[in-house]
Formats: sequence, structure tokens, C-alpha cells
Amino acid sequence: MRAGSLARRFIQSLPLALVLFIFWVIFTARFNWHHLLLGAVVSLLLSWLSFYLLAGRLDPHLNAHMALRFPVFAALLFWEIIKANWDVLKRIFAPSFPISPQIVEFDSYLESDIAKTVLANSITLTPGTVTIEIKGSKFFIHCLHDDFTEDPGSGTLQRMTAWLLQEGPPEMRRLR
Amino acid sequence: MAEVVRNVLVAALCCSGIVFFLGGTVGLLRCPDLYARLHPSTKCDTLGACSVILALIILSGFSMVVLKLLAVTFFLMLSSAVCGHAIGRSAFKSGVVPWHKPGVEPLPPMEVEEP
Repeated sequence: MRAGSLARRFIQSLPLALVLFIFWVIFTARFNWHHLLLGAVVSLLLSWLSFYLLAGRLDPHLNAHMALRFPVFAALLFWEIIKANWDVLKRIFAPSFPISPQIVEFDSYLESDIAKTVLANSITLTPGTVTIEIKGSKFFIHCLHDDFTEDPGSGTLQRMTAWLLQEGPPEMRRLR
Repeated sequence: MAEVVRNVLVAALCCSGIVFFLGGTVGLLRCPDLYARLHPSTKCDTLGACSVILALIILSGFSMVVLKLLAVTFFLMLSSAVCGHAIGRSAFKSGVVPWHKPGVEPLPPMEVEEP
């Protein structure tokens, strides 16, 4: 192996090392110089080793812009979760138990695997809807009631995902 | 005074967490089939745990503990979503037919892959 490709792999592994180091700092919560030094050495070594052995790189979608947008996305998602959870809670405690489960399918305009994963997990986290299966661009969603079938297709969540990862039609990449 | 406000907030968040946990359990007992049980058990419980963790964040004040608890919340949400999806998907693939309300037709023709 040439020295050049080794150096390139080292540079490619730096973002992963940064992520690992941030987790080290959070979990040790100590700011002594020897703790920080140890964390830096270990995270550099680990990320270089995993690149050397697995030759993988972080998904190009996982960049700094996405990391900046993520807190906004998380807050919006949390608000959606609270709203939908309240609705499910009302149904659960209602004596008549008004549910009518259906499996609906819709076509997504998202292309990359990571976008589909984020969308599927957001749909599953939002109460009343569980992603059962993804085939190509088709999502199969189990909905607790017909009232919940509107959102997964028309899409607040899909729009938020398109904004987070900047995918899909350009007019959908904006939040509002 | 600040102490009182903080304690009231913490108690309110813990109580709402308990309500969500209770809803999750009641839903688990009332739902008719596996797919419907996924809804309360994976998600009401997640939000219940999240509001209890939020109460702990407020109680602990600002320190590194806050970041740790936020990381716990993130991984909790991720794992509960993934495992809810995994259970639903494996049930769907092995041909468990979803329950429908009597008199309600299933929307699309269901395609279940042959095992």
C-alpha cells in the first residue's frame, strides 16, 4: 500500500474521529488534559483502524450543514410526536375505543437510503403510524385510524426529511 | 422561589410521563392485534420516558449530565422506532393478517411475500 493512500484514508477518517471524540467528551465529562489527550488518541486510532479494515466512509449526506439543521429537525419532530401522542392517548382512554386500523401505501420522492431511513423512523416515532415495509420507493404504513392516513403521504414529515437532507424536488426542500 | 418553580416543573413533567406510561399499558391491553399493539407500546412509552428524562434534566441543572441525558433520549427514540418497525415487518413478512374493524374493507390488496 502506498503512503499516499494511507494519508488519504487518514484524512477521510477525520470526521468520524471528530464524532467519536465528541461522544468521548460527553461520556467522560472530564476536562483534564490527559483525559482529552487519551480520548483524541483513541478516537483517531479507532476511526483510522475502521477505515483501514472496512474501507468505508461516512455517508456524504452526513455533513456539517446537516448537523446544523438536525436540532431544528429534532424539535419539529418532537412537536409532531407530542401532538400525535395526545391524539392516540385520547383514543386509548375513550370508552368507545375509536380505532380502525388500515395498512396504506404511498410513493415517496426521497431517493437515498439514509433519507428513507430517517423518514421511516420518523413515521414510526409519530404515534398512530408504524412503517411496516419499504419496497423501492413504496412505503407501507400501518395506521391506527383513518385520520392518521393523511399525514404520511402528504407529508409534513416527508417535507421535513427532504429539508434535512436536501433531497427530492427543490420546492420541497424548504420548510415552509 | 426559583426552587419552587423548578420543583413544580419537575413534578408536572414526571406526572405527564406517568400518564403516558399508563396510556401505553392500557392501550397494550385494549388493542385487538399485534400491529395495533405496536402503536401504544413503542411510542407512548417513549414519550413517557422522554418527559421523565426532561424532568431529570431540569432537576440536574446545567452540567455535562444534560448532554448525557440528551444522548440517552436520542438513542431511546432511535431504538424504540427501529424495534417497533422490526416487529411489524417480521410479522408482515410471516403473513400475520392485520385486524380490521368489522365492516371496514382493507384499503389496498395486501401483497405478502411468500416465505
